[in-house]
Amino acid sequence: MIDVHLYGKLRRFASNGSPDSDSVVSMPHREGDTVGSVVARLGIPEADLGANLFVDGHYADRRTPVADGARLGLFPDDMQLLYKWYFRPKEEGS
Amino acid sequence: MERILRVNMTSRTATFEPMPEAYRNRAGRWLTSSVVHDEVPATCHPLGPSNKVVFSPGIVTGTASPTSSRISVGGKSPLTGGIKESNAGTGWGRRLARLGIRAIVVEGQPKEKGFWLLKVDVKGATLEPADAWAGKRLSEVYPALFARFGGKAKVDICAIGAAGEFRMAAAGVCFNDQEGRPSRYAGRGGLGAVLGSKGLKAIVVDDTGAKEIPLADKAAFDQGRRKLGAALGEHAITKPKGALNSYGTAVLVNILNEAGGLPTRNFREGRFEGAAKIAGEAIFAGNKERTGAELYNHACSPGCVICCSNTWHRPDGNEHTSCIEYESDWAFGADCGIDNLDHIAELNLLCNDYGLDTIETGGTLAVAADGGLWRFGDGKRAIELLHEIGKGTPLGRILGNGAVVTGRAFGVARVPHVKGQNMPAYEPRAIKGIGMTYAVSTMGADHTSGYTIAPEILGVSGKLDPLNPDKAELARNFQYATGFLDTTGHCLFIAFAILDIASGFEGTVEECNGVLGTTWTMNDVARIGKEVLNLERDFNRRAGFTALDDRLPEFMRVESLPPHNTVWDIADDELDRVFAP
Repeated sequence: MIDVHLYGKLRRFASNGSPDSDSVVSMPHREGDTVGSVVARLGIPEADLGANLFVDGHYADRRTPVADGARLGLFPDDMQLLYKWYFRPKEEGS
Repeated sequence: MERILRVNMTSRTATFEPMPEAYRNRAGRWLTSSVVHDEVPATCHPLGPSNKVVFSPGIVTGTASPTSSRISVGGKSPLTGGIKESNAGTGWGRRLARLGIRAIVVEGQPKEKGFWLLKVDVKGATLEPADAWAGKRLSEVYPALFARFGGKAKVDICAIGAAGEFRMAAAGVCFNDQEGRPSRYAGRGGLGAVLGSKGLKAIVVDDTGAKEIPLADKAAFDQGRRKLGAALGEHAITKPKGALNSYGTAVLVNILNEAGGLPTRNFREGRFEGAAKIAGEAIFAGNKERTGAELYNHACSPGCVICCSNTWHRPDGNEHTSCIEYESDWAFGADCGIDNLDHIAELNLLCNDYGLDTIETGGTLAVAADGGLWRFGDGKRAIELLHEIGKGTPLGRILGNGAVVTGRAFGVARVPHVKGQNMPAYEPRAIKGIGMTYAVSTMGADHTSGYTIAPEILGVSGKLDPLNPDKAELARNFQYATGFLDTTGHCLFIAFAILDIASGFEGTVEECNGVLGTTWTMNDVARIGKEVLNLERDFNRRAGFTALDDRLPEFMRVESLPPHNTVWDIADDELDRVFAP
């Protein structure tokens, strides 16, 4: 299973869309999953997605692999305030 | 004619001097750090007669440039023992700039007890007794002073609260926002205590009758401000109804929590289970429920187009406090284990009223909880403890002197500080780039001293990898660029836009040229920033700081931080390479 934590306008894709509690979608993992494939399965439009994406607390992008049991954190395009130069996408190696 | 106003609190005289030629083109942090470097003996006691407090608006402050109303405040810090520059957004500095006053230098110390108020206007500057205002909460003092001096349309006010009067090292310097609230702080480093040690309770600035700020090259200025304005209006973070305008800086609570870098319960964990309840989204939703309206944020100071300052409302819809910044929200929230926004709001309000830095105060309460004084999460008890500070009780005197003093008093080894200043809201074990900034900053642990700058613009080549300790150059260039931005008078938040939109950064330099008549290019950004940092580093060296002070506390090397379960593992010599390549 994968837990996807959704924020801002992306919360509408969770059954609990309340802005002051955790909005989490639990979904089955599929072989070869990436942030992009999970986002597509949830039906989140590309345009709604920002650059503050996390896999298990690591700064990620759409191509970052998602393992079974992972926690994703997805923030929308109007809610990205993290100073991106402090991080690097996980796929670029350790 | 640009002048310096020198206020001698020993003789209680205020005199104007011409701007020294050596300081030509200097303003904001460049000027406050220059005066502190040149005039304050580095080994002096911060609360003694030799220390000074210097105020300076930035280069473009007071002009039509967007988001440029920062006032820089400098001195020797009673919290760190080193140089301190802290800045705030307020109309106060604009009025000072329009009066042609490039700096106020407050020096000396009265032999007799008491407090005074400085009034500055087109006619000059005068001191008058202010004992009547001492000991009162700033939410009482500000309305009374506005009534006395003609209202918020006419004057802006700088003041210290009870914490400054008690000469506590967590005391900040308060300025009012556009609504006259005592809520905008040059908070860090205890400069409020230095003003308290000089008996200066308040400075009221009235610019009635002042002329517009002269522009050496109006075409360059207009071109620059338009380019900057376009970048701010276009960028997702800074545009109207963008991230900062909609959710305020507190949007970062959820983001840092996802990143595993939200320091929780005195830096024991990197995730807080109550994060969603205190984040920017919860503030927006709570206000909507309580007021029946969608409240977008407001400008803290005249001319700001980003508008990130929020309010929090009580259950009956009336305003409780402004502003719950990310750092304040975190300090009283996650760091104290408190997930109740009403309690966080009250703690924020009390800091505004007593004249305290919210970061140091929240961090201190967290250290005190670690020491067994109270239980993490007990917001009501935290509020009682804040009143102890405001009343100046013996316990309050300990807490009001910050996290290091409190850690010593309660036998706590886990004190997250650098150079005596408590860390702000980014965990260095999870975000190592900010850890490097904390370690080597001239200010002590300070997120704003190297918060943002485009490495591309500064010519750092290759893929960026701040987790890689070889990127000492990046940390250095971050701080140089910040030194420049703090000199312009712009809010650091313009960095979000001008880093991504190069023409916005060019515009920022062109505006300065327009005001000063200089021919600076992008190359001068790093040159000026370096000069600022060199002054500050030289002061700290003479005050007794060595490379051993550019370190994070020991516990971060030995205690691993969940959820990443990492320790601080940047080698000491990599930290030393930041400024000694």
